[in-house]
Amino acid sequence: MARIELRNVQKRWGEAAAVERIDLAIDDGAFVAILGPSGCGKTTTLLMLAGIYSPTSGDIAFDGARVNDVEARDRNVGIVFQSYALYPSMSVLENILFPLRFAKVGRAEGERRAREIAALVQIEPLLERRPSQLSGGQQQRVALARALVKRPRLLLLDEPLSNLDASLRLTMRTEIRRIQRELGVTTILVTHDQIEATTMADRVVVMNAGGIEQEGTARDLYERPATLFVATFIGSPPINLFDGVAAGDAVTVRDATLPLSSLATGEVVLGVRPESVRANGGGMPARVAAVEPMGREVLYTAECPFGAIRFVEAGADARLREGDHVALDYTPGGVLLFDKASGRRLETRIVS
Amino acid sequence: MHAPTLPVATGRPAAADWAALALRARWRRVAEQSVLLALLLAVSLPIILPYFWMVVISFTARSGGVAVSVLWTACAVIVPAVIVYCVVHLATRSTRVRLIAAAALLAATVALLAALVGDALHFANYRFLWRPNIVEEIRSKATAGGQFPSVWIAFRNSLALALSETAIILTVALLAGYYVSRFAFRGREAFLQGLLVLHAFPAMTLIIPLFLILNWIGLLDTIVGVMLVLATIELPFYVFVLKGFFDAVPWDIEMSAMTDGATRRQAFRLVVLPQVRVGLIAVGVFAFIRAWEEYIFVRTMLIENTHWVMSLYLYWVSDDIMGVDYGIVAAVSVFYVLPSLLLYVFCQKYLTQMTIGGIRG
Repeated sequence: MARIELRNVQKRWGEAAAVERIDLAIDDGAFVAILGPSGCGKTTTLLMLAGIYSPTSGDIAFDGARVNDVEARDRNVGIVFQSYALYPSMSVLENILFPLRFAKVGRAEGERRAREIAALVQIEPLLERRPSQLSGGQQQRVALARALVKRPRLLLLDEPLSNLDASLRLTMRTEIRRIQRELGVTTILVTHDQIEATTMADRVVVMNAGGIEQEGTARDLYERPATLFVATFIGSPPINLFDGVAAGDAVTVRDATLPLSSLATGEVVLGVRPESVRANGGGMPARVAAVEPMGREVLYTAECPFGAIRFVEAGADARLREGDHVALDYTPGGVLLFDKASGRRLETRIVS
Repeated sequence: MHAPTLPVATGRPAAADWAALALRARWRRVAEQSVLLALLLAVSLPIILPYFWMVVISFTARSGGVAVSVLWTACAVIVPAVIVYCVVHLATRSTRVRLIAAAALLAATVALLAALVGDALHFANYRFLWRPNIVEEIRSKATAGGQFPSVWIAFRNSLALALSETAIILTVALLAGYYVSRFAFRGREAFLQGLLVLHAFPAMTLIIPLFLILNWIGLLDTIVGVMLVLATIELPFYVFVLKGFFDAVPWDIEMSAMTDGATRRQAFRLVVLPQVRVGLIAVGVFAFIRAWEEYIFVRTMLIENTHWVMSLYLYWVSDDIMGVDYGIVAAVSVFYVLPSLLLYVFCQKYLTQMTIGGIRG
């Protein structure tokens, strides 16, 4: 177990920067998710932590000690790749024993630990099989066992669930969480799936274009996104965005002028979560353009004077049909304001 | 309640038609397979027949001439047997019946052949294996000059040449293939294109310069010299083939091995190497056979008769006694072809995968 620190870490491939000067501290035993779209530098960060890539500049520290120049094999890091990367020529047991070959663990002790970890991830009956004879979920458990058998200081998970089907993903989510809690190993999960990140990890780090956008709990990210990017990336269905111009204590969106809690000027973007819009006949007239039942709730897209707007209703209450005319109301406090140029969120709110 | 018995106009055939459709499908499958088998037999005949004839001559020919009657009698027995087996193969899908039919046909064929041509068979043509001066016995003097060497000297030379070339090619192509597959270095693209250009370049055009070079460095008329020449000419292609196999091995397992505690070399040996095993076997077999069958370069660069390889031995035997004793030439040919044939048979399943690996390159 270790406390992990990234200080001003940068990774360049020639001219292009894959990771741009990031700072990050992860507490001992914490479960942190790095969330971002593909190409945002999250896997590069992971491979730098593993020691496969070395940072162009900046420091990586485990428990305060700089490990930049420590080779991957000496870092005692366990990693589960998206493809699981099991060794096809070895049986499941040999796969799990592989890391112990280099850890100076005796054969008998190794077998004992392998069986112990196999029991933890529930693959005991499969030990003699070849990876090619396993299903995706089983392969994933083997990969997890192999990463954990040497009792790593840090466990890295690279998109561990993306190759599983939906129901298995749900099981493995809880499973990985359980194993992490049981072992108390510092864990970093890299994913592009916000549900995966927010359900499994204690803290979520949102990355974009090589930099860290925001770090916080799932709730922080959802309710107080630091940037427009985080606001659009987190939340499903996605947030509604409208352009407006702020002048002093009011913001103008199309024809409407809304009062602000504190002063602001310039072009702004208003973000309204679909959940904070209701069709209770209160205010803005709109026409329902699309109805998408999603099980527990129904997603509507409506045309209003501001443009297209998405909102949801609980499935049981959903009565609206395409073409219906409704009046939409919203919670003023739920509207987020962003500076259009910098993308950063403004502290000012809309007051009713 | 009565269901209305209105005719329903759909494209679905009535129930009775299913049997007819199934029958038609079965017949179509039989017809397709018969055509395929007939075609395969027809195209393989020109390849099989000369080899078959070679074997027949080696066991039947007596000094002076070739008895064609044995060949035709054997064909008259074997061809119907093959056709009968094809019919059985098409008629049934049961493996047991097919095996029984094959065994019965084989037994009948062997019995018939023994009865019809058994008297004509003899092993005298293979006496070159234990009597080194057979050419002198037939022609009273070998035109190749001096004492004709024992076939085992040529066999040993061939084996030494083929095995050492295989070893060189495997070692160099393995390391080079891995390197060009995994590492970025200045001039990598040019290097890869160079490999292909080298392979496309006809090696024969180099024969005179190579001859001179070998002469100058004192390796002319040595197995080592020919081995180096052959390995050099063949290497670019095999580097490219093995690069293809390495390209197909995911980086992930190598990274994984290194985080598991392996050095890069250990990761290569323990994790990557088992993944390219098939490619190694294929390259090894091809390199061996290629050196075993080599003629032009050994003909040019090996002179002394104690340095002959099998192809040269065969050439000189036929040069000396062709027209006098076809049987011995055929027997030497059979002996020459046997090792590569056996290698091919045992490694066939690996060889067919070489093209797959190559395509990925």
